[in-house]
Amino acid sequence: MIAIGAGLAVGLAGIGSGLGEKDAAAAAIGAITEDPSVFGRALIFVVLPETIVIFGLVIAIMAFFVL
Amino acid sequence: MFGRKGNYAYAAARVKAKKAHLLGEEDYSKMLMMTPQEISRYISEAGYAKEMADLANRESGLNLLERATYANMANIFGSILLASTGDLRDMVSAYLTKWDNWNLKVILRGKSYGLDADGIREDLVPAGSLGAESLDKLISMESEEDILAAFSKMTHSAIPQEVVSAYKAKSNLAEIEDFLDRRYYEHLLDVIRPVDRPSFIFRDYVSKEIDVRNFETILKLKLDGVRGEQAMKYIIPGGKQIDAKAAAQLAATETVAEAVAEASQMGFYEDIKDAIDPQAASIRKVVSGMKRYEMMQSKKFSHLYPLSVIPVLDYMIHKENEVNNIRTVARGAESGLDREVIKGLLVI
Repeated sequence: MIAIGAGLAVGLAGIGSGLGEKDAAAAAIGAITEDPSVFGRALIFVVLPETIVIFGLVIAIMAFFVL
Repeated sequence: MFGRKGNYAYAAARVKAKKAHLLGEEDYSKMLMMTPQEISRYISEAGYAKEMADLANRESGLNLLERATYANMANIFGSILLASTGDLRDMVSAYLTKWDNWNLKVILRGKSYGLDADGIREDLVPAGSLGAESLDKLISMESEEDILAAFSKMTHSAIPQEVVSAYKAKSNLAEIEDFLDRRYYEHLLDVIRPVDRPSFIFRDYVSKEIDVRNFETILKLKLDGVRGEQAMKYIIPGGKQIDAKAAAQLAATETVAEAVAEASQMGFYEDIKDAIDPQAASIRKVVSGMKRYEMMQSKKFSHLYPLSVIPVLDYMIHKENEVNNIRTVARGAESGLDREVIKGLLVI
């Protein structure tokens, strides 16, 4: 059960961040097409939703080693 | 989920980046103090450099500026269409059909006035589905019937025989132009499926645009002495406030001032009430007031739904307005008009 819970924590967080990143990345590519100088800033906004996966990963690790 | 849905995030980001480069009020104030040559140089530095350079070996002076601004608008609208997918592309494409109609009207008018190919090309805006090559093909045709047949084939939209016959019988381009405008708005309203709030807003905007067109038509016809039932056949259906009943009431009024007073309950009245000059037979100020009303409508909703067709529509309206403003300032400066008069013609 712990393994399933850990898998769900990482998997669902991954799906969530993927959905979040979809529009952010599309908008970033649009902005970079118009003005390549915003590449660095656009990249930061694209990877922001990625942090959600880290929360999922932390929960998964806690499930394995703390519970 | 992934079917016909458009790439709103990508397209909206691109048009927002483009919108940041549009000319502002202070730019127009500077341009009002310039000569046409200085205006050309100024806009070259404001995003029109490529088109100005491309056309510089064929045109000069005001002609260069006018063609370059239209070419720039056509290139940008073309790039927006290329960058759009799914239902967003359908809506943008339907919206840009107006430039196909515009080009057909320019070609037919040019032919009827006996203009040469270059003279006709000056006013073409290849921003719709027909590119420069297709338009050249149409220009090279001799008879109006051939042009209309080829246009129908190229745009996959037939022009009914009775419209062509009425045009031939009266030699009146208004028959064709009226038909094209009606069909454009009918098609546009068909394509914008009211499935969500942004599409409702887009439809609403188009309906208000129809109102503005109809009111403009009624006023222009009034100046020509056309009233009542005769004026009603030029009314485009689908307006928001000017439905058949309201249009009949407006058409029945005797003078322009009466028509404006009759329109006092309508949304655009606030923007035109000060513009009406009972002494002058001109409706120029009223038309500018209505354009300002249209711009205000688009400004109102431009920030509401970032991931929708709204930012794209808003940008296209503003870009078209910018091009019209630049041309107005340049033409005014060329003909030595007073700065205040030119300023009054601008829609900012």
